[in-house]
Amino acid sequence: MTSLLSVTSPSASLSVLHNALIVGAILFTLGLVGILTRRNLIVMFLSAELMLQGISVSLVAWSRYHGDYGGHVLVIFILAVAACEAAVALVFVLQAFGRTGRLDASAWQSLRESNLSRVVDRELPASDTVPPLWPTLAPAGVLPKADENEPLQREHV
Amino acid sequence: MNPLSFFSGADPLSDVGPLSAPGLLLAAAVTAGAASLWLLLPRGRENRITGWLGLALGGLSLAGFVATGRRLGGIGEEAVFLTVSLVAVISAAATILTRSPVYCAIWFALSLAGVAGVLLVLGAQFLGVATIVVYAGAILVMFLFVLMLAQPTGMASYDRVSSEPLLSAVAGAVLLGLLTLAIGRLSAGPESAPTTDAPTDGALASDSLAADQVARLGAELFGRHLVAVEAVGTLLLISLIGAIAVVSRGEAAAADEDRARQRRALP
Repeated sequence: MTSLLSVTSPSASLSVLHNALIVGAILFTLGLVGILTRRNLIVMFLSAELMLQGISVSLVAWSRYHGDYGGHVLVIFILAVAACEAAVALVFVLQAFGRTGRLDASAWQSLRESNLSRVVDRELPASDTVPPLWPTLAPAGVLPKADENEPLQREHV
Repeated sequence: MNPLSFFSGADPLSDVGPLSAPGLLLAAAVTAGAASLWLLLPRGRENRITGWLGLALGGLSLAGFVATGRRLGGIGEEAVFLTVSLVAVISAAATILTRSPVYCAIWFALSLAGVAGVLLVLGAQFLGVATIVVYAGAILVMFLFVLMLAQPTGMASYDRVSSEPLLSAVAGAVLLGLLTLAIGRLSAGPESAPTTDAPTDGALASDSLAADQVARLGAELFGRHLVAVEAVGTLLLISLIGAIAVVSRGEAAAADEDRARQRRALP
């Protein structure tokens, strides 16, 4: 275990730094692509958190390379600021959902600049709405009385 | 003068230039990754062929990144680092590629586990555990609560289309290419180059398993960065109050609207 976590030679330390920085760069880029492409507000915030994770990995790698605790301290601050950001942002997402009934970022495109064109969804093919696939369970116990007027299940998760 | 050479503080070496063999492999990996993202991003119509092609390109891209990674010395540490970083990267990709937002959140939790593993390998025990506790335990559960509160019935149409997947994939490829180029130049520099900053594997890395690592981290946090800790505490308080204020004011406004509507409907 000691040999796993303590790298002795300087070149090995540099290799650890290189590999960890590559991982951090990949995470950051994936988060960037996610926040650019996805339309669901919550998935956009998840992508932002992904970018923060990439930054955390890079900071800790630099901290290990230099042998001090500066990167660790910054990552702790990132954790705290991410918690604040998630709390405030999710409140705004809930308010936005309450006004439009959708979690769609394009639902707010009336706020765009006047010289930009409107985003129009391409028509989704009807065959895309696949029927829900529920697991089949062996019947056991008494069938509960259900109110037929009330839908019990969502079609999808 | 190369604009990237400031990053390393040394002259860029010729064997990691963009036209050398590892540079070409990295460029191919970045391109394959971008193409894979473009193929796999949600679009209106599911297509089995593009799905498999995207998965194959993603696997090729990951293999390219693994092949260009530096050797760490021991087979054990290489295996551990490879495993945790592959878990982090693959589930991060699945986070942004999955249609259903609930599954996005679950994949993000797995990615957090991978990132925590990377932090542990890097010798940051406290941060690895704190990532699991704070992110996966608190923030992610908050996301899931909001998803359950706000998810409309059925799979929404805006989860099945993405805005500008081609341009975003190209932008991501450009960014990742620049980053990997800079990192390659940085770490290919001679060992003598960054001696000013003591890459001697200093006090931290050699005793990352020391019993008092958390104590030292706390001493650093509450010693040199005490004012910043106070500021972050104030920020947490402000965001808490702000969230409550926004929610309560929004409800009050909605109630006012309801009352006004009823008053208009009455006569």
